[in-house]
Amino acid sequence: MNLQETTIQGILAEYLTSRAKATPSTPHLDHDTLAAFTEGNLSELETRPAVTHLVDCSFCRHIAAELVRLDLEFAEEPAARASTESAQPSKISEVLSGLLAKMFGTSENAVFAHEDKEKKEEEKKDEKED
Amino acid sequence: MQPETRMENAMMQECGARIAAIFARCSGEQPNFGVAEEAFSASLHKTAEKYLFAASDGSVTSEQLDSFLEQMQADDLFMALACANGNERAWWEFDQQHRGYMERVARHLAKTEADAQEVIDTVYVELYGTRVVDGERISKFSTYSGRGSLRGWLRTVIWHSLVDLHRAGHDEVSLDEMTETIGEGATHAAFAEISPDGEGEILEEITRDRYRKATVTAIKNAFSSLEDHEKLLLLYYHVDSLKLREIARLVENEASPLRGWFQRKTQTRETGGRTHESTVMRWLEKSYARVLELFKAELTGVHSFSADEINQCVELATQDLTAGNLFAGLKTG
Repeated sequence: MNLQETTIQGILAEYLTSRAKATPSTPHLDHDTLAAFTEGNLSELETRPAVTHLVDCSFCRHIAAELVRLDLEFAEEPAARASTESAQPSKISEVLSGLLAKMFGTSENAVFAHEDKEKKEEEKKDEKED
Repeated sequence: MQPETRMENAMMQECGARIAAIFARCSGEQPNFGVAEEAFSASLHKTAEKYLFAASDGSVTSEQLDSFLEQMQADDLFMALACANGNERAWWEFDQQHRGYMERVARHLAKTEADAQEVIDTVYVELYGTRVVDGERISKFSTYSGRGSLRGWLRTVIWHSLVDLHRAGHDEVSLDEMTETIGEGATHAAFAEISPDGEGEILEEITRDRYRKATVTAIKNAFSSLEDHEKLLLLYYHVDSLKLREIARLVENEASPLRGWFQRKTQTRETGGRTHESTVMRWLEKSYARVLELFKAELTGVHSFSADEINQCVELATQDLTAGNLFAGLKTG
């Protein structure tokens, strides 16, 4: 780079860090779009609106930058492990009940939609038996 | 039904055989996930609508749609749909494949082990979903589209969850306020007071002021004239402080449009998968050269400055940069 290019780099850097925040004309990018963008999985057609938004939106750009750093940090991670067929699946509802109990003190109020009906029916049976 | 929607539906129906084949492969690999073909197809349709059709001006070709389906992370989407439905086997698979990774990401980001664990617990609960709308449990998985990998999406969810945790502990600091610390929202300092001494100095100061204003306007307009991908590269490097290797990582995917745009611009096409830091540096240098060219063109064309005056502008800007007041006090929106 010649001297003028080096100087313009400094001027540009100063301008970019001190310029007023632009107001993005489109809504913030959601988790899904940010994740797909930082992985480079969007096509040219799909990337264009995301890039335009990122130029104007320091908030989304900051998140995207953090995600790029994270992506690089975990780049050496092996792909998702294959499951061990011999192991027995644990009840995820039990795991979640445990988590909810830990977070809210009790899991009684936790909503497990697919279990609600069964629980109510069981309660009715118990009442009748009593 | 809107004509565009009819066309999109027709296009998706044309791809019906392809979607059926993807579904058959996924359900063949995971027969116990209990995902219905209709739900899988509807989810692909939703993703195509969100990314492909929304970004187009109504002229998506069948090749674009084919390529879109090919790039979908179908296995991840299949698992996410099964988990959203509360399928025990799918949850178990998810837990086996991703929990360890999620914990490592959370530990990397969180300050304490307790915070990391709290975030993982919160994310698991969100993924399962505790909110019920019209009798249906709303799982966070339903917002995953399969466009990126499930792990990439999980990283984003964990990152956001940690920000929420941080905000909860810092008296409701808004996300906007948090991002302001990165520099762009910083308030401008006032111009240094001028204490002119004599008519000559006043004139000199007026000239300097004119050069300063022209420099600031020219740099602002030069940046505005760049293409969006060039602007983003410069912002990532100078404002968000991404390192060259981090930017290289962003464009590592060979199909990355960002990479394609820069290669087209520099009329080079590198073979092989990796984009090196030196390549990113070259892209940056090309962008600086373009900014300089536009900068000079504006000073010459709009302000009618001579080459000597342009040199004075650059020299003055260099002095102001050293003093840290080049853009101080000038409102540049």
